[in-house]
Amino acid sequence: MNQIIMNTAQQPLVDIVTETYQTSGLPLLEDPKMRVRNANVFYGAKQAIFDVNLDIGKNQVISMIGPSGCGKSTFLRCLNRMNDTIDICRVEGELLLEDQDIYDKKIDVVELRARVGMVFQKPNPFPKSIYENVAYGARIHGLTDNKVQLDELVEVSLIRCGLWNEVKDRLDEPATGLSGGQQQRLCIARAIAVNPEVILMDEPCSALDPIATATVEELIHELSENFTICIVTHSMQQAARVSQRTAYFHLGKLIEVNDTSQVFTNPEHQLTEEYITGRIG
Amino acid sequence: MNEEVMIGGHISRQFDLELDEIRSRVLKMGGLVESQLDKTLEALRDGDAESIIDIEKLDRKVNALEMEIDEECTQILAKRQPAAGDLRMIIATTKSVRDLERIGDEAERVARMVRHAFDNDASVKAFKGLLSLGEHVKELLNSTLNTYARMQTRSAVKNMRKDQEIDEEYSRVVVRLVDYMKKDPDNISDALDVMWAARSLERIGDHCINICENVIYLVEGQDVRHSDIEEIDEQLA
Amino acid sequence: MTNQSKTDNKSSLDAVFQDRAILAEKRAAALKKRNRAEKRFQWAGRISIAFGIACVLFLFTDIISKGVGAFTQTYVEMEITFDQERLGLTPQSSEKEIKAASFGSFFKRQLREKYPEITGRKEKRELYALFTSDMPLILRDMVIADPSILGTTQSISMIADDDFDTYYKHSYGRDLAEEDKITRLSEMQEGIVDSLAKSGAVTKKFNTILFSNSDSREPELAGIKGAIVGSILTLLVTLVLSFPIAVATAIYLEEFAPKNKITDFIEVNINNLAAVPSVIFGLLGLAIFINFFGLPRSVPLVGGFVLTLMTLPTIIISSRAAIKAVPPSIREAALGMGASKMQTVLHHVLPLAMPGMLTGTIIGMAQALGETAPLLMIGMVAFIVDTPAGITDPATVLPVQIFLWSDSPERAFVEKTSAAIMVLLTFLICMNSFAVWLRKRLERRW
Repeated sequence: MNQIIMNTAQQPLVDIVTETYQTSGLPLLEDPKMRVRNANVFYGAKQAIFDVNLDIGKNQVISMIGPSGCGKSTFLRCLNRMNDTIDICRVEGELLLEDQDIYDKKIDVVELRARVGMVFQKPNPFPKSIYENVAYGARIHGLTDNKVQLDELVEVSLIRCGLWNEVKDRLDEPATGLSGGQQQRLCIARAIAVNPEVILMDEPCSALDPIATATVEELIHELSENFTICIVTHSMQQAARVSQRTAYFHLGKLIEVNDTSQVFTNPEHQLTEEYITGRIG
Repeated sequence: MNEEVMIGGHISRQFDLELDEIRSRVLKMGGLVESQLDKTLEALRDGDAESIIDIEKLDRKVNALEMEIDEECTQILAKRQPAAGDLRMIIATTKSVRDLERIGDEAERVARMVRHAFDNDASVKAFKGLLSLGEHVKELLNSTLNTYARMQTRSAVKNMRKDQEIDEEYSRVVVRLVDYMKKDPDNISDALDVMWAARSLERIGDHCINICENVIYLVEGQDVRHSDIEEIDEQLA
Repeated sequence: MTNQSKTDNKSSLDAVFQDRAILAEKRAAALKKRNRAEKRFQWAGRISIAFGIACVLFLFTDIISKGVGAFTQTYVEMEITFDQERLGLTPQSSEKEIKAASFGSFFKRQLREKYPEITGRKEKRELYALFTSDMPLILRDMVIADPSILGTTQSISMIADDDFDTYYKHSYGRDLAEEDKITRLSEMQEGIVDSLAKSGAVTKKFNTILFSNSDSREPELAGIKGAIVGSILTLLVTLVLSFPIAVATAIYLEEFAPKNKITDFIEVNINNLAAVPSVIFGLLGLAIFINFFGLPRSVPLVGGFVLTLMTLPTIIISSRAAIKAVPPSIREAALGMGASKMQTVLHHVLPLAMPGMLTGTIIGMAQALGETAPLLMIGMVAFIVDTPAGITDPATVLPVQIFLWSDSPERAFVEKTSAAIMVLLTFLICMNSFAVWLRKRLERRW
């Protein structure tokens, strides 16, 4: 350990990361929800993700941290094939959702995204009513048979996101009239309304004030009972607060995965240590 | 084994300065405590009650420093939300500072015993029997402060072994005192004072070991309290 | 390592930063210069706007001052006795009999009787020429409409001829030198007009003929109804064709088409088409629709085809801009919910882009409404008296009507031309205001 600390002082960082590497910590789990093996992602000729091996545990919150441009968002978007929309993006390797290859030709991406939902950085409710926002997923996937069921689904989803009491009297009003935090919780309600197995969150609180952030974090904590949640965040404190496991990405490589408590008190890899103590960023 | 790396290198230079300030204050506090112990040993050797005043003065300084350092650590926790090494540094520091302050207290207590004996015309000579133990404890404190200053886990383990020897010496002192008390029951109360003084010196050794454990926690991230020295040695190897 | 570089930075910064007092002076000087430049810039803008407004005002005053006269028409109140014997008709006569009756000579005789002092052949002709040549037909239509007026004497508003009209509007009662008078009337005719006017028989009324008649050789009988209907029909064809095609094209290019050389090529060509002179679209229409497909000339259908070709690039470009303006976060949200590409477009992108698309479409339509050149090429410049009943009837459109009238020698057509321009401008302003209103109405914040 001491030896390594000395090394960083003398060697440039790049040398450490361009070599073939092994992820520190415990990237693999027993009976995971999602399994990623040797994932490589390319944007045209440029490689964005290098050989990532990672398991995502059932009903766990895993957070992904790392400096800007380290590939954590790219990796997250691979998990529900949001990268498909980018023409030049190519994903290699094995990405399994409960033993099913999500990049299999037979898999319909629409079906996949119903199972792996997503919440984005900026709250992006549809410019429709609050009700329509939550009901949208159920409508397109044909989840409910009648209006009564749909009403119930909307109510339950909003209750679970702690938004029901705030919006129940104005379900027909435009969702864009809500505050930022409410909008983001609405987006989460919209995502859970189709009852996905995994929810991906791409910096869900970066556009929110601290109070709204706390509400969303509390919500994430509650949702982790029933959903597997992967969250990308720039706030290390947030990662420490909401997640059970933390994965640290650096220049497209998965440097370390470990229990969050371990990562934030005693990380194994010196790059992780340097990042979370504010020595690289 | 470079203590600068444990502190320096943050993107925020201000953070580096704050950590460095804390570290130098801890070392300053260590120096004050060391001279407290020094003066206590002087009192033991010379049977001199005057140094108690100096010791009490030093104790006020030590207490003030303890509060200052704690306050700075609190500020860092609030402002910087330190993680990993930085977090361990802050935690280990607050703990170590407490131990240092206790060491000062124990030294003061020994000095007070000496003065008590002196005031009551009791045999001050009996305290001289503690000199060897005191010297060993002083060495241990000195070495502990070096360990802290240099963040050396190896020497921390060495200190632990040294403390074991001190414990054994203390046991021998106790056996001797018990013998003495049996032989001369009239002087039991004087002998008890000496016993308390020996006990305090032994406690100083224990506090030193706490500090060494903190250093190991700081550097390695491993909590080695309540574990066997051999195990620790193995883990660190 | 970092220490070193920091101190280096500091010393070089010291060299850059000078005395604050000197800097303040420099700043003040720079500020003055900047403020002056800003003022100059603002004034340049104001002058440009003033120039633009002046031009528009000049155009409007010119057109309005010339054209406002066309909205009134001079009438002459005259007693006409529908003498049964002279017409050879009874109230029981059939329509056919009425149509066969000689209203022309009847009317002329009536006039001769009013002015018995006029005897010469030439003078008589001048007398008749004071009234519109359609007057006998108008009288006949009155009788057909109500045969019971036969045998009675009716006070009739007779439409004055364009020369009468022009003289009455511009020269009558004004103390003008002979050469300043705008008139083509002879002295004798002027005398008749003056006496009629003095007796109070001459009136000016709102010119309903302008809106109820189609084109005519006689200015006092010429109207723009045919042209308006023709324009509406042509625009309908254009709208029905161009809007769906353009929106479909824009959506496909923006949302579905892969970005490669072919789509780049298409994009460049669309932009080029927007800049192609409209007359070329006319030639294209002539070659393709009329010569190749054998569609009839002069009809709104072909006009609509040609204008579709012309407006397509405009609508496509504005529709693409509107689609591009839809924030990608909305698409991501929909895709992330598991919506398919098409659902994303139909449910979210299209509704948000619609205001922009509609605005582009209306502007394209306004452009098409004002277009002349391509329609000349496909024969919509013909002289057409009938109002078109469908898209395959020969028709003309407002701008072409303006073009035709502006070319006519009769003095009264100058007035009519300006009036038609005013009507066209009114339509354009209405359409553009509608576009603005629509955008405001449909625009949603996101």
